[in-house]
Amino acid sequence: MIQKYIIAGALLCATVSIKAQEVVLKGKELFGNLEARHIGPALMSGRIIDLANHPTNSRILYAGAAGGGVWKSTDGGATFAPIFDEHAQSIGAITVDPNDPDNTIWVGTGEIWTRNSVSVGDGLYVTKDGGANWKKVGFDKSERISSITINPSNSNEIYVGVLGALWGDSEERGIYKTTDGGKNWEKILYIDQTTGAGDLVMDPQNPDVLYASMWEFRRTAWGFNSGGPNSALYKTTDGGKTWNKIHNGFPEGNLGRIAVAVAPSDPKIVYAVVESKKDKGLYKSEDYGKSWKLLNGDFGLVVRPFYFSRIVVDPKNPDILVKGGLNGSISRDGGKTFKNLGAMHSDIHDIIFDINNSDRMYVGTDGGVYRSWDGGATLDMVDNLPLSQFYHISVDNEEPYNVYGGLQDNGSWYGPSSSPGGIEARDWTRVGVGDGFRVLRHPTKQIIYSEMQGAQNLWRYDIAKNQTKNVKPLKVKGKADLRFNWNAPIAISEHQPDRLYIGSQFLHVSEDQGDNWKIISPDLTTNDPAKQDKESGGISKDKSGAETHTTIFTIAESPLDEKTIWVGTDDGNVQITTDGGKNWTNVVENVPNLPKNTWVYHIEASVHNEGTAYAVFDGHNNNDMNPYVYKTTDYGQSWKSLVTDDIIGFARNIQEDYENEDILYLGTEFGLFITIDGGKNWSRFTNNMPATAVHFIDLQKKTNDLVLGTHGRGVIIIDDISPLRQINQATLNKDVHFFDTKPYVVTEEGGFGGGSTELQFVGANPSSSAQIIYYLKKRHTFGKMTLSIEDMAGNEIVSLTPGKSKGINIVDWNFRTKGPKVAAGKTLTFGGFTAPRAPAGSYKAVLSKGKNRYETTIEIKNDPNSIVTESERAQQQKIAKALFDDMEELAYLVYRIDEIIKTAEELKKNDPKAEKITSAVVSKLNDLKKTLVVTTGDNYVNEAEPELREKLSELYAEVANQFETPSAGQLENKAILEAQLDKALVTFKTIQEKEVDKLEKYLAKNEKPAVTYKDKAAFLK
Amino acid sequence: MNTLKTLIVALVLAIIAPANAQDVDEILTNYFENTGGIEKWKNLEGVKMVGVMKMQGMEIPFEQVMLKDGKQATKIDLQGQKMTWSAYDGETSWTRNQMTMEPEKNDSEANQNMKNLAKEWPSPFLNYKDKGFTVELVGKETVDGTEAFKIKVVKDPVVKDGQEIPNISHYYFDTENFVPIVIEEEVQDGPMKGQTVKMIVSDYQEVDGLYFPFSQSNQFQSMEFKEFVLNPEIEESLFVFPEGK
Repeated sequence: MIQKYIIAGALLCATVSIKAQEVVLKGKELFGNLEARHIGPALMSGRIIDLANHPTNSRILYAGAAGGGVWKSTDGGATFAPIFDEHAQSIGAITVDPNDPDNTIWVGTGEIWTRNSVSVGDGLYVTKDGGANWKKVGFDKSERISSITINPSNSNEIYVGVLGALWGDSEERGIYKTTDGGKNWEKILYIDQTTGAGDLVMDPQNPDVLYASMWEFRRTAWGFNSGGPNSALYKTTDGGKTWNKIHNGFPEGNLGRIAVAVAPSDPKIVYAVVESKKDKGLYKSEDYGKSWKLLNGDFGLVVRPFYFSRIVVDPKNPDILVKGGLNGSISRDGGKTFKNLGAMHSDIHDIIFDINNSDRMYVGTDGGVYRSWDGGATLDMVDNLPLSQFYHISVDNEEPYNVYGGLQDNGSWYGPSSSPGGIEARDWTRVGVGDGFRVLRHPTKQIIYSEMQGAQNLWRYDIAKNQTKNVKPLKVKGKADLRFNWNAPIAISEHQPDRLYIGSQFLHVSEDQGDNWKIISPDLTTNDPAKQDKESGGISKDKSGAETHTTIFTIAESPLDEKTIWVGTDDGNVQITTDGGKNWTNVVENVPNLPKNTWVYHIEASVHNEGTAYAVFDGHNNNDMNPYVYKTTDYGQSWKSLVTDDIIGFARNIQEDYENEDILYLGTEFGLFITIDGGKNWSRFTNNMPATAVHFIDLQKKTNDLVLGTHGRGVIIIDDISPLRQINQATLNKDVHFFDTKPYVVTEEGGFGGGSTELQFVGANPSSSAQIIYYLKKRHTFGKMTLSIEDMAGNEIVSLTPGKSKGINIVDWNFRTKGPKVAAGKTLTFGGFTAPRAPAGSYKAVLSKGKNRYETTIEIKNDPNSIVTESERAQQQKIAKALFDDMEELAYLVYRIDEIIKTAEELKKNDPKAEKITSAVVSKLNDLKKTLVVTTGDNYVNEAEPELREKLSELYAEVANQFETPSAGQLENKAILEAQLDKALVTFKTIQEKEVDKLEKYLAKNEKPAVTYKDKAAFLK
Repeated sequence: MNTLKTLIVALVLAIIAPANAQDVDEILTNYFENTGGIEKWKNLEGVKMVGVMKMQGMEIPFEQVMLKDGKQATKIDLQGQKMTWSAYDGETSWTRNQMTMEPEKNDSEANQNMKNLAKEWPSPFLNYKDKGFTVELVGKETVDGTEAFKIKVVKDPVVKDGQEIPNISHYYFDTENFVPIVIEEEVQDGPMKGQTVKMIVSDYQEVDGLYFPFSQSNQFQSMEFKEFVLNPEIEESLFVFPEGK
């Protein structure tokens, strides 16, 4: 009995201890130094919301992006670097504290040009050290902050204009004021839950005078409303205690968005651009806003107020003003007349003037930042802002694979995941215009499908022939007009390469690459007429088609069964057919705890089981910012939520791992989240990964690269995530665990890149090296740790710098062994830096940590595309080795010469009697040395004529670097140089036997230390 | 080759015994108390460091000397040529030209910055108040998979292209061992201007009662140290610009 208890007790202990040992690693503890790389592109850049100057240093500028964070330039706008990557990347306003401009910068998040695809912000931030560290100040629910205004003589007095929620009611909007530098805030102007602060400006001469434009606005998934009785322009003259409407001269009736600006050089002049049904346009006041006069209603001033309500006055001249717009407009006569700014990307959101020279201007557009040196006539784009806003991406199966995708207002593109010298602007090819969305590569042919806004075009682009055909499906007799989402879904079958799907409210299928279409479903949406508003916009009509609703948004054909097709709609239906479209079932009712009509953003049909799928719902355009992620294993009959508190931001996309069902990758408004346990725990991936919105994720099947289409930071790739598949409790409990890796290929590629200027963004390439990937249970900090590559016999080939991080470590080995010991000369011989490649085969990676030694085997193999035969390769290795040995033979010879000369010269100095003997040695040896290495000149145009070392190292480097068998010319040269080397060795021997021998005898006779030098093995060590 | 010019070894001090650090001064006080004592660090006159630098597939043996008064010199061995690559004698800093391999004086701004650098030795945290540096505990963060105290140090501004710019570094002290494991610095010029470079610091070992990190690496290069010699005897001529050569 007692024994039983003991056993039971032991069992209990065992269970407890096993449970206690379960290791759950999150974030950086798990990912270690697994890092993302950014490939841009930056050639079309992305939407800029706000620009800001430093008030006294014209070299410093800030740019706030719609989805790419805050960027700082310290060289007058030549280049920018990101300074806000850890926080919400959607920016509304940037303000530099005029009293502490080097250090204190305020950032209000949440873009304020409220198009349908806007991201959201999460509050107000401040840095006190020029952007190195940021602190959140509050306004968590503000969603969008339009303005931050600071008293120029008191940094504690700050006003913040909150535009607030776009998609629903919110009380966190209006004008706020702090008088203690941001600790406490008072709401000093609030209208109602629908009306926010569009603009807030301070009189530069009187900080108690402020102008605030309040804007009534609302967006739904199917419409937009700008304006109403609450939109108005207010003024305070007592620091915000009282506010009065200042509409004397403004149009009657409901107003919309109002832009306002005070002339910095003459603050009685105030400009306002008013959205109104009647008499809209630019109003000017010359009496501090008491009265207004309509000056101009040009298209450039009144177009799309929700997108372009920004007016800026020259800091020195009250008559020069610039207005954001489709092209941007500039007036030089106080607003009476305007002309367009010079040619640049359309959609101008903000303009700033240089603080010293108004001819220098900076412009923020839908396509990045532009700079002008001639008052806005000529514009030059900043080329290093990779802010591209992808709606969707996909990859192909080429080597290297390409990434395809469509961008907000910047067309559709594809570019390589790797390119010689890095991924440059010129590597990208355009495959669509307008707003680009889904771009897919035909699985077997040189064909790309590319869809443009609302399926206005569905191009089938033949890459080889450079031909394009629009293959979009048209209305069918007896059926309703087609409704396509702005971001209409297309999908290619995994089973029939020529099959293409597109969704309107119906699912269309083509079996011939889009030439002919068939509708295979009824209307799969709710077809709710209330959500089919065709007169969107409010006061200013805004009919772009972007608000078309009750449409299909996602299509997923099961990779396991072509008859099983999932369809998700923007109005919340999850439809499934298991018979190729004959019968459809809406299974959304089975999804627990999901608000009705929540947008189905993505369905992923599993590769693991036919009945398994994942669905991601996005409720943000119903003002619901929660993530909704579900899994079904029974064709949608039941669903399980995979959401935990770890996930930040509403979710848009999920990608399952092709091999490990427990690994999922989730894209949300604030970044990438990964689970390795089927959704029980999620980790945010932050290694070189900004908190940008991830709109689409793809997993490249050959490379296991996770490819992210972000809406603000371009394409971001995490190379080879396969180590994540090998993580389990056993792995996590080991001190050191080497991950299995596939054989690494020594790619036989040459080619040149580097066509970019210094100011252009160049995307990072993946590693082309072998990688040693291991997990460390604990970060290595104390004592020695080394990592070396050994051949299978245990000889060290090369030593590497190990990663010490807790979690996953990745160490590159470029397949090179140690370089030769090189003969010392006056200058360097660059060939001498070449290390031979290790031949294909197995190698040991040996990690030493204190007394412990851990090892694994890695495999390297020759390029399967190589045209070099095995015997040719063997010959190359043999000759390279021989030349390597020649290099070292020469190095040893020169070393001995130098050592003997040193001894002789020493003796010469101290013993004049030995003059004759020492001079003979020095002179003979120097004569020999001059033929072996250069002893004069420099590394550039004063280079000496090459001697044996230079010729030998050049030939050695050439042969060691090439893959082909050495040419007859190379062999002939080798023979010539080796003959020279042999001759030199003979000469040396002769000198040794004669002059050096005399020296040695003299030394011995006089009881002086003999000539000594290391033996060859010691020298080469 | 360019990075040879910026061959800088940051001396980082180590802490052995953990403590319950509440604020930055407590962390730093413990840090000095536990590393052989603050007096020992204050009395340190200089260090000679011998090691190998790995960059772009090359292994370059080097020897670097840093003295309390700011003098420093870096000797390297390139293809058998042993030379002083760069040095500073307290007044003049110089570096060898990569083409001629001859010494050339650094520009006046680099020289000024080098002068300021002397204050940071052997640690910017040693008597940081007297130096006029400010130090701040930013918070806890995970770096290298490990929880760390993030400490910001603002040093004398550096002069670049005619302007003074702030000089901020972040040191991450492992919360378990109280040892800096990562140092972040902003790149001040070149194509990576404005970006942060992260130096990984590890392999701490004891040398005559003080602890030194025997491995320091960033994305461009790594330095593996073989030896630290404390208070070395050094010929003054090592640091002096070789006139007429």
